[in-house]
This record gives sequence, structure tokens and C-alpha cells, in this order.
Amino acid sequence: MYDLIIIGGGPAGISAGIYAARKKIKFLLITESFGGQSVVASEIQNWVGIKSISGFELAKKMEEHFMVQPGIEVEEGSLAEKIEKISSGFSAEGGPAVGWKVHLKNGKSFETKTILAVAGGRRRRLGVIGEKKFEGKGVAYCSTCDAPMFAKKTAAIVGGGNAALGAVKDLSAYADKVYLIVRSENIKGDQALFEEIKKDKKVEILLNSEVIEVFGSLTGEFVGGVKYLDKKDGTSKELKLDGVFVEIGSVPNSEFLGDLVKKNKYNEVVVDHGSQKTSCESIWAAGDITDLPYRQIIISASDGIKALLSIKEYLNGGK
Amino acid sequence: MTNKKNMHTDKKIKIYSTPTCFYCVKVKEFFAKNNIKYEEVNVATDMKGREEMVKKSHQLGVPVIEIGHEVIVGFDRVAIEEVLGMK
Repeated sequence: MYDLIIIGGGPAGISAGIYAARKKIKFLLITESFGGQSVVASEIQNWVGIKSISGFELAKKMEEHFMVQPGIEVEEGSLAEKIEKISSGFSAEGGPAVGWKVHLKNGKSFETKTILAVAGGRRRRLGVIGEKKFEGKGVAYCSTCDAPMFAKKTAAIVGGGNAALGAVKDLSAYADKVYLIVRSENIKGDQALFEEIKKDKKVEILLNSEVIEVFGSLTGEFVGGVKYLDKKDGTSKELKLDGVFVEIGSVPNSEFLGDLVKKNKYNEVVVDHGSQKTSCESIWAAGDITDLPYRQIIISASDGIKALLSIKEYLNGGK
Repeated sequence: MTNKKNMHTDKKIKIYSTPTCFYCVKVKEFFAKNNIKYEEVNVATDMKGREEMVKKSHQLGVPVIEIGHEVIVGFDRVAIEEVLGMK
């Protein structure tokens, strides 16, 4: 039986893992792959201490930092499917001696006294007509992957955060024309990045605009464009496009926790933001799986550490 | 998980990719780890290769992996292992 199982290998899981290793906690880290959602970011300019780095390079550096820690155990290549309550024979403060059995999709299972759930999130879909039909056929979710496919073409990016602004830059390097479609009146991403984009003559910004449909090209095989609601005048308009890149945030990978912990209406795990404790004793959570208000790599990394320090106290019997 | 032995396959393998694509790197790492030879087509610069990829996969996204006559879209580890009979 492990003292701790960390479920997830993004910034929160890796930072917690490094701290756990240095504190010589007997733990296992389970992840499908390392790095988290930002592995697809072409450029990160707000990780303190590094002026500019690609998401892939930063993820690699984090993974390397974790992998050199002595005594670590890793189960890579599978996801957690569900968690089952077992008896652990260990109780921190005289409470029930609860433990957990973590079942993976590949059929393996592992037992632990405590859990840190840091499984992050996956891409939020627009949820409009045509999005699913044209996924991979012009609807894309990874601009660093697929931007070159739209060389000399017209593409739109939907979203207003840093990921969307970064995607505009990725597309502008190849496409002839790039639209940025933002639902609200304001940009959520960094002003510095937004001003850079505003200067780009290829880029046209549509604020207060909500995509309502992705439609097909004449042959019907690939994307032909989008319909959107212009909220300024309340009319529906069309844009002819070859590609639509969706960058509207994430939904939490919290399903494997079932009803064990309290979740909000977005399925985010509700945590105490000081200790990262969930509503269930001996389960902690951090990063994009939780109800944290700001989604940043550096915040996930630090929340992972807060959780780990709290777990360490718990394993020491509350001290 | 890691198969230390050389994988023997008569099937020709092609990976259609772009240089900045994280999942493409992961696919290539997977094949390298299992000592499986593949041909790489950079569709960011190879226009003929790009046309070939779109024609075969009906997709505009990378990676696309062609193993013999099978076409796999994205880094679908389970599908790759199945086609190669690694399980």
C-alpha cells in the first residue's frame, strides 16, 4: 500500500511529485502522459524565470526534473477509471481507517492511504451544430499541430484567453486571413499579447460574437465556414472559412472520482483553497480539475505543492 | 508496456506530421521505443505528402499514421498496438 497516489502528470502532479520525492513519501504517480494541457502551447512567456519557452519544452523540463528524483514510482500510459473505498489500517486523527483502491483503464489497480487528484482537464467543445461532424476536417483543437495545414487559407480562432491569442499567432504564420471570434466584449488573455495581435494586418477581431454553427464546404466534406450571432446588432452572420480552431478553455477530468467528493455544477472538484483538501478525508485535488478561479500553469504547480504539504501533515498524524 | 524486443512487421509505416506537433513527437517516440521503423512525411513543407495524407485520411489534422492499408488518426496508442499485433 502506498502512502500517496498522485493521479495526473501535468504541472500540479509533477510539482507535487517532486516535493513528495524529496520528503521521501512512498508514492506512485499515475498518468497517461506528462506535461498536461499546455504541451500544445507554442509559446509561454509567463513562467517565472524563463522569458519564453514552448509548452512542449517546458513540459519536458518538468518531466525531467521529476524523473531524476530518487525512489519515484510511475505508472505511465493509462488513466484512472474509478476509486474504491477500502480499509487502510491507517487513521490520521483517530478517525476511520480509510484507504483507497485506484482502478486504471488498463485493468491494473493500486492501493493507497491518500489520493491527490490532479488529472486536469480536456478541451471544452463549442457544442454547436457541425462541430463534431467537421472535427479533423477543418475544426481543430491544436494550433501548433495543424496550423501549417491552413497555409494560404482562411481560419478563425474561437476564444478570448491566452490559448486563443497564441493560436492566432500560430495561424497568422501560415494563413492568409485569420479571424478571432470572442464571445464577450473583453479579452481575457494578456493585453501584451492582444496588442501584438491587433497590429497584425492579417487578423480581424470580432468581439461580442458567438459561433452558433459550423457549416460545410460545397462538397460537404470539409469546413466551409461558421454562422455567428453578432450581439451588437442581434443579427446572425456568416464567415467563409477553411478552418475553425476552438480555444475556449477546459472541462475537468473529474469523472473517475464519482460521488466521493463534492463537485460544483461544472463538475469541478470543490477544494479548500488553502490546503487543497476536498470534501472527502484523505483525498486532495489541485490544478484544473478543481474549482480554482484562474487557470495558469504556475498556479496549478503551486496548488499541487500546497496539497502535498497538507498531505504530508496528514500522514504525520496532523502535525 | 514497453516491448523490448524488435517488432517485426512487414507493413510499411508512414507518419504524417508537422514539426511543432506534440502528439506527432509522442507517436515517433512510441515507435522508436518499440524499435519499429517508419517513414516520416512533414506535411508542413511537403505539399505532395499533404495531398496524399488528406486523400487517404479525409483529415486536415496531424498526426496521421498509415500502417499497411490501415489509417489511424491521432496518437491512438491502443489502435496502433492492435494493428501491429503488439497485445
